[in-house]
Amino acid sequence: MQTANYMDEFKDSKKTSLSIRDIAWAIFVILGALYAWNQYGSLMDQFEVGILSGVTVGLIVLGKLWRSIQQLTLWVTGLTFLALWSYQIHGNVITANEQAFFLKFLVSSQSATMWMSALFVLAGITYFFALFTKSEFAGKSASVFAWSAVTFGLVGMMVRWRESYIINFDYGHIPVSSLYEVFILFTVITGLLYLFYEQRYKTRALGGFVMLVISAAVAFLLWYTFDKQANVIQPLVPALKSYWMKIHVPANFIGYGAFSIAAMIGLAYLITNKALEKNPDSGFAKTMPSLDMMDDLMYKVISLGFAFFTIATVLGAMWAAEAWGGYWSWDPKETWALIVWLNYAAWLHIRMSKGFRGAPMAWWALIGLLVTTFAFLGVNMFLSGLHSYGEL
Amino acid sequence: MTELNQAETAPSQTPLEPEKGQSQGNRPKKPSVFLNFIASMNLAVTLLIMLSIASVIGTVLKQNQTMQDYIIKFGPFWSQVFNDLGLFHVYGAAWFVLVLVFLLFSTSVCVTRNTPGFLKDFKQFSEKLSKNAIKHQPNSAIVESHLAIEEQQGYAKALLENKGYKTKVHQRNDGSVTVAGLKGRWNRLGYFFTHIAIIVICVGALLDSNLLLKFRELSGDLKAETRTVSLDKIPQQSWLGPENLSFRGSVNVPEGEKTDVLFLPYEDGYLVQKLPFTVVNEDFRIKYYDTGMPKSFESDLILTAPDLDKPIRKTIKVNHPLYYKNYAIYQSSFGDGGTKLKLKIHPLLSPIENSIKLNTQVNGIEPLKTPVGTFKAEFNDFKMHNIVPATEEERKLTGHKMHNNGPTIIFKVRNEQGKAWEYENYMLPSKQENRWFFMTGVRTSNAEPFRYLFIPADAQRKKERFFKFLISLNNPLKIKSLFTKLYPKEANISQKTYDIQIKLLQQLIMLFRNKGFKGITGFVEKNVPEADRKKVSDYYFAQTSLALQTLYMDILIQEGVAKTQDDDISEFDKTWFEDALNTITSLSAYGPPMYFEIDSFTEVQATGLQITKSPGKDVVYFGSAMLIIGVFFLFYLRQRRAWIHVEQKTDENGDNDGTEITVAAKDNRNLPETTTEFESIVTKIQDYNNKSQT
Ligand code: HEM
Repeated sequence: MQTANYMDEFKDSKKTSLSIRDIAWAIFVILGALYAWNQYGSLMDQFEVGILSGVTVGLIVLGKLWRSIQQLTLWVTGLTFLALWSYQIHGNVITANEQAFFLKFLVSSQSATMWMSALFVLAGITYFFALFTKSEFAGKSASVFAWSAVTFGLVGMMVRWRESYIINFDYGHIPVSSLYEVFILFTVITGLLYLFYEQRYKTRALGGFVMLVISAAVAFLLWYTFDKQANVIQPLVPALKSYWMKIHVPANFIGYGAFSIAAMIGLAYLITNKALEKNPDSGFAKTMPSLDMMDDLMYKVISLGFAFFTIATVLGAMWAAEAWGGYWSWDPKETWALIVWLNYAAWLHIRMSKGFRGAPMAWWALIGLLVTTFAFLGVNMFLSGLHSYGEL
Repeated sequence: MTELNQAETAPSQTPLEPEKGQSQGNRPKKPSVFLNFIASMNLAVTLLIMLSIASVIGTVLKQNQTMQDYIIKFGPFWSQVFNDLGLFHVYGAAWFVLVLVFLLFSTSVCVTRNTPGFLKDFKQFSEKLSKNAIKHQPNSAIVESHLAIEEQQGYAKALLENKGYKTKVHQRNDGSVTVAGLKGRWNRLGYFFTHIAIIVICVGALLDSNLLLKFRELSGDLKAETRTVSLDKIPQQSWLGPENLSFRGSVNVPEGEKTDVLFLPYEDGYLVQKLPFTVVNEDFRIKYYDTGMPKSFESDLILTAPDLDKPIRKTIKVNHPLYYKNYAIYQSSFGDGGTKLKLKIHPLLSPIENSIKLNTQVNGIEPLKTPVGTFKAEFNDFKMHNIVPATEEERKLTGHKMHNNGPTIIFKVRNEQGKAWEYENYMLPSKQENRWFFMTGVRTSNAEPFRYLFIPADAQRKKERFFKFLISLNNPLKIKSLFTKLYPKEANISQKTYDIQIKLLQQLIMLFRNKGFKGITGFVEKNVPEADRKKVSDYYFAQTSLALQTLYMDILIQEGVAKTQDDDISEFDKTWFEDALNTITSLSAYGPPMYFEIDSFTEVQATGLQITKSPGKDVVYFGSAMLIIGVFFLFYLRQRRAWIHVEQKTDENGDNDGTEITVAAKDNRNLPETTTEFESIVTKIQDYNNKSQT
């Protein structure tokens, strides 16, 4: 009697929860992929069809694991279609982005990127406001702003992809191929990664800190746009014409984004730690997540970043083998990727095997950001090499 | 009835099986101090940091430049020091390779030593752990119950399995039972995968390195060639055959020609690799975007080999190489394949029009006998397009960021002493501040940028007028005859004074021709007493200007642009005159007095192929795949253990008084989740007990 009882209990809880919603989601994603294939399939090589399938499966799984992705996808799809439709009814000419109402004010890649920039900065300010006033409402608004920023960033990228083909069919390319474009990618991925941790671990107090890095990236993006006209879509140099770019670059930026978040958690950790040292009853420290929590989160984010950075570096080596004739040439960008990788490998070793915790690791994560930033930006500015995009 | 006690210590510090003394940290045999050092984490982290530092140096210090360039940059002392430290070839330096070897060794020792412990950890459920040891796990709790052992045991097993644990039940002699659970044990494999991957990758990289060549060099059987000579002059010592396991080199193949050798950069020179196949370059193309930027580089190749029935034909592009057996052929660069050049050499000091026609080609060397000495002209390169950033206005006008300045030749002129001047001459005029000029750059060292001379184009956008004007400045006799015709001797001056006057004009033109107006100032400073200098130099300048203008007007009359010496001339002709005088002033710094004009050319391009044989590539890829899998195992699986120990409890009288359940858990990573999960197990057991009691 008893036995049957608890077996039933476990049986019930074992049932996987494949809800109607998940099925609808899968169907939606598959339909979207079929639409893309039907529309643009003739332009894809077999690798790109592979990438499309991979993205489809990935998105279905991601959406099931993290429901908010479903909502985000719907918004991005809707706004992107609004843009494509507006271009269509204006005869598919690029100048429509100055005339058509929706394009001009909302969803041309330029406008969407501007919205993204403004919303990220706004989100940052609101997160800090919420932190100091302890206002629940402000905190929620900040999250909404951050989600909207991510949405507009993704829309900007999708529309830019289309625009590159509208300007000149020859120029068409996925917008992850110039420094300007990868900066948008960076802000979007960092924002999204952060929002994942925010939902999962209820860490809204960290939002302002993460938005600091994102806002810095936004500032760079704006300077780059207005001072250097970097937003103008340029054709690709031959070395970048490869399907590898579509997977190598995003994987890299998951790494960069995660390392940036870890650095900002490190910063929050150090500040909280200081506050606690001065005053164990510090009100500020009470509003922040516990030190242990931040320490743990730092570890989780770095291990996520490390995993993706490993993949990205290996993919980069495979691309290099095809483009330059050798999987490793000690090109500065490549070498700095290795340095970043070694740095975090050492961080993880020290923590996992020696059990180091606390402030030193937080400092290390923070300094790690300098190394990462140099690999990301400094190499392009100060060193020359085979990597062919994004000279300042 | 529950006491939760959570150990503060990190899990790795809690002995798993204290009684048996066989935990990882506590091995039965004491290994040597040396091995301890080699396998230590400190050494590992030190090696990682050394690698990083070496890598930083390698990127900040430009690698593999010529020693010449380094000496210019750092001076003779420091470049010697840096060179001895191997900093100019960091990635091939002995100490760098040593660090890699140490890394390999250290990781191998580490893996070997950890294997038995880890395998045990992978397989073992540790169900035989004593009750006392169970109690001392990082998380443990005691629950008291009135249910029978069997029932508790059944529930415990079901609970752990429901939570994803594999279980093993151990019936003890005293009647108590331990249910041990193990989950996420693949995590342990993560350690092996990542570390063995590092070893595999290093081995792959060593396979592709030039270690064997270094060895052959040390044994004296190989020597790099440093001269630029034809293949048949390269000694056997610098040749490599099919015995070479791996290589990566490049070769330029002109259109219509073929190659069966490859050049491998080696130390300060190169080695020649014989290929087991022949590659013909049928055609090389560059396609351009409408902006003028290159869109693709393509070569049509034909590969023939003795064992191929039919040659392979393939068009290769950047990112689209040709694979043949274990060789890969890449489009890596392009260059000139001996473009045919028809040149016209203008002697700059000649008093008459006597330009020389020269038929040559890129890579040709031509001796030139001239009245000012014997020279050698070496034609190094021809470029069909010279794409430069467009000016602001042009960008507005055309919308293009880039501008094409047209064909150039790059060549050196060397005198008998060996001193060389390098030139870059444009074929077409380019627009500067709304005027058209033919640019020609000159420099005497690679380290300098070119200094440009701007030859003003005439109304036909040609150089004719400029050379005519220059010739007339070079010709004193012509000056004399022109002036005597234009200004005949007046009656009131003597023949002698008149002759002196004419002579002075000739001399002034000569001074100007050699050094510009500065030459005249210099002459006055040297030959005229201070008091008279201002007056004399004013006079001389006026006379020079008059003479130059007269010569210029004479050319305009010859061209038919002007009728008489006193005609008004157009704005264009005025500016042209000023530009021409500026250019002539700079001629003294132009090197040997010759100007090479490109009359016509037939372009022959060469494709730059990179050919590799890389047996280590697949090894490295295999290692990389292992690395990625290992990293995911390490970070996304946690190895967790749980023990539920159930034993009969007796009261003072020795009667059965229900059971005591000891619950414990251990995680190889100390995370907050561990505690939460442990607590949920304890809660479940309590709930079950409570429910069953009522
Ligand atoms: C992907 C890169 C790497 C990862 C993720 C990694 C991970 C780990 C982990 C998790 C441990 C602790 C094992 C344990 O006790 O549970 C460890 C130990 C160690 N690792 Fe690595 N490792 C990496 C690369 C390297 C490299 C390149 C070296 C170079 C020598 C190295 C040397 C060591 C050493 C010496 C230990 C200590 C082993 C011992 O004696 O307990 N690791 N590593």
